Amino acid sequence: MGLRDRAAIAGVGYTPFSKDSGVSTLTLAIDAILAALDDAGLGVDDVDALATHRVGDSTPPWVVAPALGVPEVHWYLDQFGGGSVSHAVIGQAAMAVAAGVARTVVCYRAINARSEFRMGGTGRGVAPVFDAQYQAPYGHFAPPQQFAMFTRAHMIKYGTTHEQLGAIAVTQRAHAAGNPRALKRDPITMEDYLASRWIAEPLRLLDCCLETDGACAVVVTSAERARDLAAPPVLISGAVWGGGDSLLSGQGGDFTVSEAARIAPRLYAMAGAGPEDVDVAELYDCFTYSVLVQLEDYGFCAKGEGGPYAASGATRLGGPLPVNTHGGFLSEGYVHGINHVAEAVAQLRGTAGDRQVRGAEVALSTAQPGYVLAGTSALILRADR
Amino acid sequence: MSLGGRPRPQPDRDSAPWWEAVRRHELLVQECGDCGTLRFPPRAICGRCRSRRSAWAPVRGTGRVASWVVNHQVFLRAFADEVPYAVLHVRLDEADDLFMYGDLTGADPADVTPGMPVRAVFTDVDDDLTLVRWRPR
Repeated sequence: MGLRDRAAIAGVGYTPFSKDSGVSTLTLAIDAILAALDDAGLGVDDVDALATHRVGDSTPPWVVAPALGVPEVHWYLDQFGGGSVSHAVIGQAAMAVAAGVARTVVCYRAINARSEFRMGGTGRGVAPVFDAQYQAPYGHFAPPQQFAMFTRAHMIKYGTTHEQLGAIAVTQRAHAAGNPRALKRDPITMEDYLASRWIAEPLRLLDCCLETDGACAVVVTSAERARDLAAPPVLISGAVWGGGDSLLSGQGGDFTVSEAARIAPRLYAMAGAGPEDVDVAELYDCFTYSVLVQLEDYGFCAKGEGGPYAASGATRLGGPLPVNTHGGFLSEGYVHGINHVAEAVAQLRGTAGDRQVRGAEVALSTAQPGYVLAGTSALILRADR
Repeated sequence: MSLGGRPRPQPDRDSAPWWEAVRRHELLVQECGDCGTLRFPPRAICGRCRSRRSAWAPVRGTGRVASWVVNHQVFLRAFADEVPYAVLHVRLDEADDLFMYGDLTGADPADVTPGMPVRAVFTDVDDDLTLVRWRPR
């Protein structure tokens, strides 16, 4: 059972997404948090806990709390890490609520990932320490380079093709057409995909997510209390994080399996659900390949079949498993994971408009699947009907 | 072509002997003193049997390409004159789970194939730094 249905997401808030927010990550955090509290029908005086993750690129809870005028912080989380811990932050908030140490947790991620802190390292130095000391001197350090290495390994072992990766990019762009928040809404074709320039072969420009300025926040409270608040509660039925391998160092070395394969059984067991119960999946898509490998590792298709499955149209709206209904990081914007959770909440509330998956009751939302930094995290969310 | 502008490794207390060996053009891994498992990168403990006994062991410097990337985007100015360049993930011949990274030298990135046999070569960048790169064999 674990954390099953003990906590809920009671509110969601966004800032606009852009390439240059013109404001600090503190201001982004404040704006997203206030919007999420408003959505929940709560105010700053109700907040007693804050949680975020960052990699030296954002404003920590102990700066955000006094800026907002939070009366007293009972618990906070300032997690080191990138996309792999994005869902662990919300899982830990659920744990804090279930343990009774916090009542109203605001979870946020606020980044100027284009105008200030670009993940690709452009303009920012690389710290060649730990595993990176064996890679950075050879010009291997930026996320597209790392994921290109994993993608190639999958191509070698399973015959995964460029067109299969392209199907993911094309599908997600089509989904973004129904999302007013999305940065990229104009449709793309397979020809556009195949014509886009190489970044790090075998990954092209259109395999890569959008570096984005923006913030997103969700309010986590007890399931019981969420039922008395303004928005329909979305239950946190499964919340799992962990793993154990750092594939970066090369030991172990099978790049075709992500850490999602390890945590999926625990996740489904906690939620009392299986892949066949998932109505909509918001899968971490820093690159097209991370979607492909998670389709396999979360059990939606056999190992090695992620490419054919994606190319079959199964992940389109109207298909058996709509994936990244908001367009994902590839087309909506990249807020490092939490915007996937927010989209899952909209789907389960039935408020996703043109991109609504009809009757969606169970959603899977996932973090970076455990490459680069050890471990991954994921949530199974359920409509409270 | 100067390699001096590349990010320089910052050896730590575990890796410093390894980098010093590279400086002498020796490619080493650690060999567990109890179970004999070879490991890289350097660590104080064997992840298989948890033994703290280990010795540095030379490897032949041969391996096969497990995966590779051909870089086109310039993420750091130091690589502006090098694109397109290939970085290899090399499986060492000594053990299935021993891997090293390095850039391809002496061949066209377009000619890399899965499983391609490669050999380590040492490039002295300057008085303090030597890098391990890989050439087809």
